[in-house]
Amino acid sequence: MNSRFIPACLLVLFSFSCSRADEPDFNREILPLLSENCFACHGPDENVREAGLRLDLEESALEKLESGNRAIVAGQSSRSELITRIFSEDEDLLMPPPDSGKNLSPAEKEKIRKWVDQGAAWSRHWAFVPPNKPEIPPARKGWQTHSPIDLLIQAELRKQNLSPEKEASRESLIRRVTLDLIGLPPTVQEIDHFLDDPSPNAYEKVVDRLLASRKYGEHMGRIWLDAARYADTHGLHLDNEREIWPYRNWVIDALNSNMPFDQFTIEQLAGDLLPEPTLEQKVATGFNRCNVTTSEGGSIDAEYYVRYAVDRVETTSTVWLGLTSGCAACHDHKFDPLTQKEFYQLFSYFYSLTERAMDGNAKLPPPVIKVATEEQKKELEKLNAELASIAKSLNEKQTALVANYSDPTPDGKLGKLEQAEKVWFDDALPEGARPEGNEGGNSWQFVSAPEHPVYSGKKSTRRSGNGLTQHFFSSVKNKLALGKGDRLFAYVYLDPKNPPETVQLQFNNGTWEHRAFWGADKGHGAGRNNASNLKIGPLPETGKWVRLEVEASRVGLPEGSQVNGWAFTQFGGTVYWDRPGRITTQGLNPEQQKSLAVWEQYRKQVKQPPLPAPIQKILDTESGKRNKDQVKQLVDHFVRNVHPEAVAAIKPFRDQQAAVRTRVDAVNKAIPSSLIMEDRKQKRQAYVLERGEYTQQREKVDSRIPEWISPPVSGMTENRLGLAKWLVSRNHPLTSRVTVNRYWQHFFGTGIVKTSEDFGIQGERPTHPELLDWLAIDFMEHDWNVKRMHKQLVMSATYRQSSHVTPEKLRLDPENRLLSRGPRFRLDAEVIRDSALWVGGLMVEKIGGPSVKPYQPAGLWKPVGFGGSNTAVFRQDKGEKLYRRSMYTFWKRTSPPPSLSTFDAPDRETCQVRRARTNTPLQALVLMNDVQFVEAARKFGERILKEGGESAKSKIEFAFRSVLTRRPSPTELQTLANVHAEAKDEFRNNPHSAAELLKIGESPTADGLDANDLAAWTLVAHVILNLSETVTKN
Amino acid sequence: MNPIREAELIETRRHFFGKAAGGMGSVALASLLNPELLAGAPARPAAIPPSTATGIDGLPHFAPKAKRVIYLFMSGAPSQLDMWDYKPKMQDWYDKDLPDSVRNGQRITTMTSGQKRFPIAPSIFKFNRFGKQGAWVSELLPHTAGMVDDLAVIKTVNTEAINHDPAITYIQTGSQIPGRPSTGAWLSYGLGSMNENLPAFMVLHSTVNGGFGGQALYARLWGSGFLSTRYQGVSLRSNGDPVLYLSNPNGLSAKMRRKMLDNLAQLNRERYQEVGDPEIQSRIAQYEMAYRMQTSVPELTDISGESQQTLDMYGPEVKKPGTFAANCLLARRMAERGVRFTQVFIRQWDQHGNLPNDIRRQCGIIDQPCAALVQDLKQRGMLDDTLVIWGGEFGRTIYCQGGLSKTNYGRDHHPRCYTKWMAGGGIQPGIVYGETDDFSYNVTENPVHIHDLNATMLHCLGVDHEKLTFKHQGRDFRLTDVHGNIVPDLLA
Repeated sequence: MNSRFIPACLLVLFSFSCSRADEPDFNREILPLLSENCFACHGPDENVREAGLRLDLEESALEKLESGNRAIVAGQSSRSELITRIFSEDEDLLMPPPDSGKNLSPAEKEKIRKWVDQGAAWSRHWAFVPPNKPEIPPARKGWQTHSPIDLLIQAELRKQNLSPEKEASRESLIRRVTLDLIGLPPTVQEIDHFLDDPSPNAYEKVVDRLLASRKYGEHMGRIWLDAARYADTHGLHLDNEREIWPYRNWVIDALNSNMPFDQFTIEQLAGDLLPEPTLEQKVATGFNRCNVTTSEGGSIDAEYYVRYAVDRVETTSTVWLGLTSGCAACHDHKFDPLTQKEFYQLFSYFYSLTERAMDGNAKLPPPVIKVATEEQKKELEKLNAELASIAKSLNEKQTALVANYSDPTPDGKLGKLEQAEKVWFDDALPEGARPEGNEGGNSWQFVSAPEHPVYSGKKSTRRSGNGLTQHFFSSVKNKLALGKGDRLFAYVYLDPKNPPETVQLQFNNGTWEHRAFWGADKGHGAGRNNASNLKIGPLPETGKWVRLEVEASRVGLPEGSQVNGWAFTQFGGTVYWDRPGRITTQGLNPEQQKSLAVWEQYRKQVKQPPLPAPIQKILDTESGKRNKDQVKQLVDHFVRNVHPEAVAAIKPFRDQQAAVRTRVDAVNKAIPSSLIMEDRKQKRQAYVLERGEYTQQREKVDSRIPEWISPPVSGMTENRLGLAKWLVSRNHPLTSRVTVNRYWQHFFGTGIVKTSEDFGIQGERPTHPELLDWLAIDFMEHDWNVKRMHKQLVMSATYRQSSHVTPEKLRLDPENRLLSRGPRFRLDAEVIRDSALWVGGLMVEKIGGPSVKPYQPAGLWKPVGFGGSNTAVFRQDKGEKLYRRSMYTFWKRTSPPPSLSTFDAPDRETCQVRRARTNTPLQALVLMNDVQFVEAARKFGERILKEGGESAKSKIEFAFRSVLTRRPSPTELQTLANVHAEAKDEFRNNPHSAAELLKIGESPTADGLDANDLAAWTLVAHVILNLSETVTKN
Repeated sequence: MNPIREAELIETRRHFFGKAAGGMGSVALASLLNPELLAGAPARPAAIPPSTATGIDGLPHFAPKAKRVIYLFMSGAPSQLDMWDYKPKMQDWYDKDLPDSVRNGQRITTMTSGQKRFPIAPSIFKFNRFGKQGAWVSELLPHTAGMVDDLAVIKTVNTEAINHDPAITYIQTGSQIPGRPSTGAWLSYGLGSMNENLPAFMVLHSTVNGGFGGQALYARLWGSGFLSTRYQGVSLRSNGDPVLYLSNPNGLSAKMRRKMLDNLAQLNRERYQEVGDPEIQSRIAQYEMAYRMQTSVPELTDISGESQQTLDMYGPEVKKPGTFAANCLLARRMAERGVRFTQVFIRQWDQHGNLPNDIRRQCGIIDQPCAALVQDLKQRGMLDDTLVIWGGEFGRTIYCQGGLSKTNYGRDHHPRCYTKWMAGGGIQPGIVYGETDDFSYNVTENPVHIHDLNATMLHCLGVDHEKLTFKHQGRDFRLTDVHGNIVPDLLA
């Protein structure tokens, strides 16, 4: 322990042991009143501080004020201005002022008076004092206890005259713990196995089995992803797809391998800064690349660098510090002592990434990393070896060919070449052409001089717009036939006042996969750089007509192709087009092609396609002035690329090479990538920003931790790695508490601190501070062992209580904050859907991988999507992708999957560590009518028929137990038997209805089952899947 | 646990354990806990029940003028210069540069910040004076012009955001950064529902020429942010189920659904007897409301009972589901049925180029239905307590983006002044408020920040914008953040 800390700890111990029962506890009772009612004007924010009074610090609260009075005189309420003011009947003097909307009740005022009279004992806000191991109270006879957790819980129960419930039935227990640890209900076999296990540690065996299940990492990981604000799109404006699912894989793996939480923290916040980081450690830093980003046209970079860094500070402080730092972006925090300067010191840690402010609407805005699988790595090694071997043979062959070459006609002469230019159209579209484009049939805008530039004829076409925009035609009557070596051309004029970023020509010969572009790679097929989107050169000069030319074969239109459509495309700006056509040049015959001398003459006339620069340079040099090496290079090039026999001789090698390269490309293309963190070499200077505005830079600040929370750790670096190590240092008062509190919330429904995102002064106090401390220390002392902590929680007697509730307990402990009974609350959206897939036998048990698009009602993305967005149209997946766990469902932030968000799955736009649990009619509609749930009922019906035994009773029992674990009561059995019988009657009379019902969903219906019977059992399954108990953990 | 949920549990418990029922109207949609429903009584016909205590305690803060809002949102930002803000002097400024003294170094988007010139593009549209006050309205809006005496036209709305996503998020949620509740969610939370069979907050998306397209929209614009998700807007769709998952699956008849729900309720009730969890009772009630929505929503969208005269008012597109005209008519039907907040979106106003052409198309789509909606409400005596708001997320620049000609131009985003109108419940009719400079670039008189506009809207609904708050992360949040002033001159 750092020696500077000993006095503080002693002080705290002292204040704990001294507190008397009748004395108001400063932390629990007084500080919240002051914070809620006074700190807005008399708190840490110095810019709004009134009358020079600061009440959050002991020394300033006791000081003489500007007025000469003292707010608080310890032990003397009558001399304390604070007391005078809060009791004042004069509206002008009364505090808090009536117009503030704040109000102290008489009892609260009395409490403050009492506290002042009893000496105004001060202590730090509880959460900023490192946890202390509490004394463990003794057990009460007859109450079951398994660990100090139970003793600490039961001590509170005794105070409230409550007693714990008896242990829940084994059936309830296995359902509860299975849902909590792996997010699915137990199977009938698992239930029976547990029920039949006579060993004293039967329950522990179940727990251990679940902790070892790979589904554990998925379930726990899914919860972490709320905090990480993980999603599959960028979130702002176009909301295009983002590839960061390898990070999700990392989370699942980390949890399954029980990575200690301190390491889990360090790798996600700063894995890239570790010495020689592994690929996985870099992938882990995706945590802070999950924030929303934009690429909206017109946005200003500086503004977004600030927003991204602010988001990262807020997320990091919510998740690890349990503090709402966001307020301090604009001003000193009004309640917690975090100053604005400290906020920007934290901000500085996240302000220097190599990321760009605009994500470019790209799937992988840098920095990113390729995350090849082991198989992919091996495959690439093998292919590269093959390539090397081919290259060797090829080189030997070529060397021999070059060595043996001599020009058969060194004095051969080439006459003038014939060139023929055919203009396809001018001033009007070719016959039969159907005009199309961004504005439909009105897309072709022919304009004339003098208002507009025109190259030839009377008109040119004009286009002005944002983003990717174009006009085109197809299906002409007379197609443009292409011969060998033909080039396609068009004239273009870029408006100098509003130039585009890209101009692109696209040609159609049945498909549009033939494109050439100039300028930025922002046209159709961006990012490909092959025949379907070939880069030719920079943007043409603006303000003049420029001829654009491309050799047809280079865009996949070889000799014999027929062009029937042409598109004039641009990205932004104003562009004029004119006089498109084809140019044919006579080529060399095979005999001429054998002569270097003839070829040289030819290439002086025909510059297309361009030669490699060094070869062109040699050609430009007079033949007499070429040195030996240049001569050799030229021959070399000629033999390899032009001489027909030589080319034919090396063709097999080239073909082989191309084939292997195609395979390499395929493997490379299949390698996923993920967004990661990476710092700039030169740090970007951070400033305090007035009111949080990026233009209002004030004092310069560097990366620094707020030392009042916890002192720096030794050897701490001033980067994210230092920050991460500080967060998980043993003395840190918050990280461990905040983390175990989230675990508690997961298993018990509500945290010991209910506001699990806010441990600050405005947050709720812990219901069991000693327990929270005990857990926090225990977690750290056991090296942040997550599975051990989870096991400890579910092994406790507290967790294992029955959730039965009496009216009396509802009255005394309505929210079960005292844990006088076992937890009972609605399941998370994903667990509800996954459970239905699971009992329906539909779930595909594959772990990790890219996101999938299961059913969602048609037409949800269209009304919100930007036309140019690649997530504007939802294309549902097929087959097994429909039945993956919900954590893999593609998350489009601007239109999240509705069946999940209806059950309170968060929007994933910002960090969230606590979900709402509503109960709404829309939820009923999802369970009643969503194809996913009806299909699950149908497949569950099949299972009931196949696995449920012979009698209706055994079938109902099987169905009931598969979902709810327990056996149905006689009346439940009767009701469900009636459902079945009535439904069967109904379907017998309307066999068409049964057939319709059995067609819902894309999974096939099992053969050999009676349709009416299956439909009736589907209905039984449907009723069970809709039960309140089904969507509830109890 | 979410605090709303908590309040609701208390409410539920009060009900079931007979403690102090009523009085503490702590939850919106409290009618869900209506005893009739709990007893599994059959559905009542959709009708506005007598104004029952819903919403949060103490709301409305004072007597409201408006009970509901219809917000006609023009996404993409319509040009105030070509519709409302008449600047005749600009005709002499054609192709001259915007004076630096007007722009005053204020930031502009990077779409035009690289332009070498900022040439003035005067509107090519003719303006005329209409109504008692002689308000200027352009020829693009003949129908709207005819009802200008019912409107308060505000020419000085302003915002700080200069791009669509932050700007529309800002006006809808009070913050440029995602995460806050939308306006409708605040009202749904604060004032609750007036119809137990329909959601309190509904959203309609309009097609343009049969398709969507235009600037993106985001679920957060009708989301509930940190409020309970029960307050988020429910989209009423023109294709497929009007409300998601509303229809029974094929093969499951309405009769079977009813039977299934009866059996389900019986099983749930038995469980409730066993374990005593009031949440089970609440879930039974939710299923009943879901069942009632299965009839009340189709009834809402069925316009076959509308008179020909009414249909004619909205124009020929009204019979095409999903059009702006059809949505305006549905908005009126929702208003009749007590939907608290109806938001109609129409996109494709983002006219950086080819503005004259595109704005003609857009105005052709919206002009008649907007006027019809206001007049229809008026004829039915509903305009008095229905607040109608029209407008976008920001305005457009006087200077041209891209090529300028006598007949064609484009305009970039302009946040410093633009025009919106309000009509009905609580709003002074027949006024034009605020003045801008000759370039419609800066406000010269009576600025109305979007926070002011939202504060004024809440005021009409009897809500003090500073008091409709929700504590989240230790802080009281509100729609107007820490800003906003009511604009008294706009109030009737």
